[in-house]
Amino acid sequence: MNQRAFPATGSFFLLTLLVSLLLFFPTAAFAVQPLAVEPTPWWVWEIALFVFCFFLGIVAVIGGVGGGVLFVPIVSSFFPFHIDFVRGAGLLVALSGALSAGSPLLKKGLANLKLALSMALIASISSIGGAMVGLAMPENVVQLSLGATILGISVIMLLSGNSAYPEISEPDNLSKILHIYGIYYDEQLKKDVSWQIHRTPIGLLLFIVIGFMAGMFGLGAGWANVPVFNLVLGVPLRVSVATSIFVLSVNDTAAAWVYLHKGAVLPLIAVPSIAGMMLGTKIGARLLTKVHTRVVRRLVIALLAAAGLRALLKGFGI
Amino acid sequence: MKEQLHTSRVQLTYATVLSWTSTLGIIFVVAGYLVYVFQLLPSAVSPAEIATQWHLRASEFHKVVPVPSGWDWVTQLVRGDVLTYASIVYLSSVTMICLAVIIPLFFKEKDRIYTIITILQVLVLVFAATGIISGGH
Repeated sequence: MNQRAFPATGSFFLLTLLVSLLLFFPTAAFAVQPLAVEPTPWWVWEIALFVFCFFLGIVAVIGGVGGGVLFVPIVSSFFPFHIDFVRGAGLLVALSGALSAGSPLLKKGLANLKLALSMALIASISSIGGAMVGLAMPENVVQLSLGATILGISVIMLLSGNSAYPEISEPDNLSKILHIYGIYYDEQLKKDVSWQIHRTPIGLLLFIVIGFMAGMFGLGAGWANVPVFNLVLGVPLRVSVATSIFVLSVNDTAAAWVYLHKGAVLPLIAVPSIAGMMLGTKIGARLLTKVHTRVVRRLVIALLAAAGLRALLKGFGI
Repeated sequence: MKEQLHTSRVQLTYATVLSWTSTLGIIFVVAGYLVYVFQLLPSAVSPAEIATQWHLRASEFHKVVPVPSGWDWVTQLVRGDVLTYASIVYLSSVTMICLAVIIPLFFKEKDRIYTIITILQVLVLVFAATGIISGGH
């Protein structure tokens, strides 16, 4: 195979696939104007949801984003399910992905238990609050705030940089008390990398906000966890990504229970989404070295912005 | 392995428990779903009935469709719709199980701060799971 040609072909294939999904999927007619009678057999929606999430999983990995953040705005726009159930399923999609990815990252020492536990405690409390507020809000307000949040996330993803190995001259007192520091073996550098953190109180405050938003909208919060760990606290990028997954598993568990008790989790919607997304992320991980990740990432950001705009318009009743 | 030299015993234990419980969770979720959609066990509500109302708000949906929510299903496990819901409940409990396992390990290591943080974290999750704050069933 022509090694140079493949990345472009792969990216083009994914682009075509995404556009096709957006164009040919049954449109949001059901979602915008709920009908009492559902003309499409339930199993068609199940298969469509599974296939859709499978491709979403591929795109999410290649684009370097969590599936949860793509799931809620896109599925709520193109499927007939109420956004309550989509948010419940979104939390479970993000949770199951985090649970299955967590073990190897912890074993390798990339995810740090103490860093995660310190941030997750406060974030999980706020995610419960976020879930309760989110489920109590009127639908148009949910759509409006979801749209604004998703557009904000698109901007953050477009503009935020990262620092692979931030240099911290002096750790703060709170991180010393909490013994938050670590050492991991970096496969790229082929050596041990030690790290410590600063600005811990600011990080804790930001995690309150992140937890609240994750619970409110049923989003995985990797898009926010990673920049806070990396750019605010000064955690190396690899450790930030891995620890973010751990924090996500705790926060989404807390919020998921609120959704379960409020009756906002339907296995008929959650399970095909989880299965499709998990299968897709496995395939996506294999394709990762063969496609132009930068092109796909831009595509994902554009897709996210479009979904955010759509949610915003739905919120305005347009 | 070189990487594991930098990983604490508590963290390795958490990772091992997580690996087993999450794998079991995924298997349970898929199996429960298949039992339900292929109607291998009787269910109070069929998938087709759910599909006619899934455009409704969760609060309105539950007024017209008697599907399980919260803990109201525990006495009726031999039902397809309950089994698939129970699998989701299990998946939502995996983190609690893993955290509960490491509390005694932190305690043994005399790591007071993380013993307390982990106990508090488990309490927060148990609190959410009971449904007290969210008006659960």
